[in-house]
Amino acid sequence: MKKRRCFYLTAVVVMTLMSICCWRLPVAAQENMTSVDNGDFGRPERTPSIFRHDAHNEKAKIDACNTCHHVYKDGKLVDNESSEDRRCADCHDLKAVGKTPSLRRAFHLRCVGCHEKIGRGPIMCGECHKK
Amino acid sequence: MDALYRFLSGPLAWVSFVVFIAGSLYRLLSMGFLVRRKEKFIFSVMSWKYSFRSIFHWITPFASVNMRRHPVMTITTFAFHICLFLTPIFLLAHGVLWDDAFNIHLWALPNGLADIMTLVVIAGGVFFLCRRMKLAEVRYLTTLSDYLLLIMVAAPFLTGFIAYHQWIDYRFFMTLHVLTGEIMLMAIPFTRLSHMLFAPFTRAYMGSEFGSVRHARDW
Repeated sequence: MKKRRCFYLTAVVVMTLMSICCWRLPVAAQENMTSVDNGDFGRPERTPSIFRHDAHNEKAKIDACNTCHHVYKDGKLVDNESSEDRRCADCHDLKAVGKTPSLRRAFHLRCVGCHEKIGRGPIMCGECHKK
Repeated sequence: MDALYRFLSGPLAWVSFVVFIAGSLYRLLSMGFLVRRKEKFIFSVMSWKYSFRSIFHWITPFASVNMRRHPVMTITTFAFHICLFLTPIFLLAHGVLWDDAFNIHLWALPNGLADIMTLVVIAGGVFFLCRRMKLAEVRYLTTLSDYLLLIMVAAPFLTGFIAYHQWIDYRFFMTLHVLTGEIMLMAIPFTRLSHMLFAPFTRAYMGSEFGSVRHARDW
């Protein structure tokens, strides 16, 4: 009986710890990230683009997560909702579907599109995709 | 450098495409009107059959006597022209520009292959340069403009190659690449690069005259 209780207790503790880890993981990864994860492209032709998440957002004065991690429903941007718990590839396929841009185009529009609009930040291929 | 790159890849890109397309149409139409005014009889000898027979022979490697006499020149010129034409159109990085800007999807060459094709164009340019300087019959016909033309064609490929490999100063060579590419595009209708536009017509004319008037081969 005592053994069984001990097992349950351990299980609960382990599962709680695991869920905390999983929940903390994306955030922890974001702080330390130095490049965009290109793992969703089958055989990427270029190196992953350089991106230091926190340093970038501090410099660019971006506070709201959904500036980049947006949510679209029925083709319309949803205010006050963000998607940092999901991967870009969850919505953006390798090929464009309807109005949803392809994964590559989504990345490029999100980064280069913004840089071009505000007139700051890298816009040439090799400035992000460094050899 | 950023402002210059923005200008070159923005407004000047539009200008160069408009100049290239409008200039090409102008050259073709004005040549057509000139022929109609001065040499109207040409239309009486023109024939689809002889035109395409000639074009076919001259776009097939070694299908003419002259090509068989100069095998090295033949191989070089075919490799040069094929790579010159295909590489810029089907380069992945160029396709990405079309995709990002206009949502237009083009099939793309693998980067490794495009890299080799770029080297073929550069090597072809060096070959033509040496040929101009060495062969008496070619040197006799050569003026400064021939060298400038060669440099103009090779420049976008050379700068593109250096920029792709991110050697020396990436941003400088990238900017220079866009500029030299646009200069070449705009020069096509107004320099001897216009053989790109006129070649099918001159070939068709030669083929037709040899076929319907002289009853001889022109290859």
